[in-house]
Amino acid sequence: MQIEFQSVTHTYQSGSPFQATAIRNVHFSVQSGEFLALIGHTGSGKSTLAQHINGLLKPTEGQVLIDGQDIHAPGYDKKTLRQKVGLVFQYPEHQLFEETVEKDVGFGPKNLGLGEEEIANRVQEALEKVGLPYNEFKEKSPFELSGGQMRRVAMAGVLAMRPEVLVLDEPAAGLDPMSREDMLQLIKGLHQSGTTIIMISHSMDDVARFATRALVMKKGTVAMDGTPAEIFLHADELEDMGLDVPVICKLNNTLRQLGLPLPEGIYEEDALFSALMNLWKGGEKDAQ
Amino acid sequence: MLSDMTLGQYYPVKSTVHSLDPRMKIILLILAIVAVFTAGNSLAFLPVAAYIVLASRLSNVPFKMLLKGIRPLRFILIFTVVLNIFFLPGETVWLDLGFAKITKEAVITAIHYGIRLILLVMFSSLLTLTTAPVTLTDGLERLLSPLAKIRFPAHEMAMMMTIALRFIPTLLEEADKIMKAQSARGADFESGNLLARAKAMVPLLVPLFVSAFRRAGDLAMAMEARCYHGGKGRTRLHVLKMKKNDYIALLSMAVLLASVILISRFL
Amino acid sequence: MKDAIFEVNNVSFSYEEANEKAMDQVSLSVPEGAFYAVLGQNGSGKSTLAKLLNGLYLPTSGQVLVCGMDTADEKNTWDIRQNAGMVFQNPDNQIVATIVEDDVAFGLENIGVAPTQMPGRIEQALLDVGMLEFRERAPHTLSGGQKQRIAIAGILAMEPRAIIFDEATAMLDPQGRKEVFAAVQKLNREKGITVLWITHFMEEAAQCQHVYIMEDGRIVMEGAPEEVFSLPEKMQALRLDAPAAARLAHRLREAGMPLKAGLLHMEETAKEVARACKLNSKA
Repeated sequence: MQIEFQSVTHTYQSGSPFQATAIRNVHFSVQSGEFLALIGHTGSGKSTLAQHINGLLKPTEGQVLIDGQDIHAPGYDKKTLRQKVGLVFQYPEHQLFEETVEKDVGFGPKNLGLGEEEIANRVQEALEKVGLPYNEFKEKSPFELSGGQMRRVAMAGVLAMRPEVLVLDEPAAGLDPMSREDMLQLIKGLHQSGTTIIMISHSMDDVARFATRALVMKKGTVAMDGTPAEIFLHADELEDMGLDVPVICKLNNTLRQLGLPLPEGIYEEDALFSALMNLWKGGEKDAQ
Repeated sequence: MLSDMTLGQYYPVKSTVHSLDPRMKIILLILAIVAVFTAGNSLAFLPVAAYIVLASRLSNVPFKMLLKGIRPLRFILIFTVVLNIFFLPGETVWLDLGFAKITKEAVITAIHYGIRLILLVMFSSLLTLTTAPVTLTDGLERLLSPLAKIRFPAHEMAMMMTIALRFIPTLLEEADKIMKAQSARGADFESGNLLARAKAMVPLLVPLFVSAFRRAGDLAMAMEARCYHGGKGRTRLHVLKMKKNDYIALLSMAVLLASVILISRFL
Repeated sequence: MKDAIFEVNNVSFSYEEANEKAMDQVSLSVPEGAFYAVLGQNGSGKSTLAKLLNGLYLPTSGQVLVCGMDTADEKNTWDIRQNAGMVFQNPDNQIVATIVEDDVAFGLENIGVAPTQMPGRIEQALLDVGMLEFRERAPHTLSGGQKQRIAIAGILAMEPRAIIFDEATAMLDPQGRKEVFAAVQKLNREKGITVLWITHFMEEAAQCQHVYIMEDGRIVMEGAPEEVFSLPEKMQALRLDAPAAARLAHRLREAGMPLKAGLLHMEETAKEVARACKLNSKA
């Protein structure tokens, strides 16, 4: 499935005195199987962009095409679109509402008009995917779970629609390091099993570790688009935008400034470790 | 739009009317209502109307804004006038429709009622346009505080109103987000009959209530940590003090009231 | 040694509805003027600790002293809360008023400060957190970091000796987190306000003077960040992640590179690694 943004502009409350353009002339496309990170300062338009992907927001100008078709053209099947593109909002546990985990996760499939048996299957599958054993959790109230578990139930609620593309708005926000890592591994697993991932993130370390591509937003426009390695070559520009770069990337840049002959753009711990070991051992050999 | 709603209709400019003590403005409104109801004939409305025009001039609020306050009430207004025209008794019949007679007296009285309603709305609008909701709450609290002796919870009521005003935009934003999130899971808030639509609200309302309760718990704890322990021994940042202008305003209202009574009695 | 602002002696605490202890035999001490951290996962008991420290909860056993006052004595409650303010996690849920300066005034109104004294104290507090220009704004139009700074100003105006931060940056974006942490560092440095920084962010704890690590209601480790974080195995056993620079330095040291122990921050690690590598190539 291919997602394509063609010169998309979105203006909130167009024509009123409160008018504000959130994204401007955004142009890019995403192919099946990508893990795209959307990065940007708060207010850079990431969330607005994300809500265009499944048609929750309609472009003021431009078009959003899915497999070449304009999703706002008359007669386009929005219901199928919402099924194909799952959207997980920030703090999704705040949207739980049913008495039991099973009913809550089943809300999406029920809206799709599926039969009871199919719903049960999907709920089971989705709960297992997020690492919550079905039999143990199905009868529990979502409100008596821990924060990390509630978030996973909310994720399962979206996964039960069996989306091909999963859009996640800061899926790890507010979690402690342990639940955070679990959540990121879960998303990584989904990506590996074939789901296209579009993830909004503030953490450059997460982007460095998981994304295959990153889109940097600045004041509603796309400022950079490339692989993490390409993006982190522009560490200075990122910092000017108020964005962080991974600590390893900073360390590499500082070491280079201190005169070590390291390659540009290293952002992974393992890579820097081997580069430094080579350098150090190389020095040792030269000395001998 | 959201921020617009929180301000109610408050029109934030500086003026003599804006800077009046909120307690005085509430008292003036009450007296103005008395004046409007005392006006026994249409002629007596003249000084009242003049008063409101003058007040709106002094308040730097465009007169248009005052008229806007009437708009939501236009159906009630028309309904009242029409109903009165048809069904009030009178002597001089202008038109006989068989089921009802339209009389001169009825028309005059109906118009009188209509003007009365318009004036009432305009006075209330003037208060809310020139007084921020929080200031208004402050004024109400202090006007009602003598009632604490008979255990009327004036401070608690005012605190509740302030907190409500504070959280309305937050909860509206949250409602919008939850609605979008449930739509992303295929929820449909728009189609279906009344029952279906009411049922569709459950996935919105439950999380909204859960969130409101969580916020209330958090807020209570934060308030306690900041030494909040009710209205007892509490001082206020904004001290309300009646100034010269407040008494001048009161005097002007007294003049208005007197002239309305005189006109109603003797003309 | 200076007097302890917070003194926790063998404190245990259980919530009424639960059998398990949320806090088990915890002891700690924070001296006046210090900047200490409590680090732990959710459910480790660190938020319970925060609430015990200003009398929102009372210990089941043991004693909590704040500026020498026992929290169990009801007479002390308001003095304690005035001396040891608290900033919470959710920026939205601790702002009471619809205008910034009214909110900063809230605490002052509660403790009965004379109205004539309020404007000066409010202005100073807002200035100290760099929010003076926002004094007439409505809180919901501010960013998360700005709201937290307003909450800090509200505490600051009460002229406390210490402030407890209960995961005050957990819901903020990296920018907001930095902005709030920097403001707090400044208060500690320039005003001598004692800070207890409760967090699950390693990078923040690494910048404090002393760290208590909590797990399952107990303190399992404590010490200067350089000592605590240079033990990556131990960190990992607690499922806490050591800062990236410390982790790399540790790996390099294990592999034989002659680095000094206790490397934690990016700059010093870089300098030390560069020194080691250059030394080798010159030798």
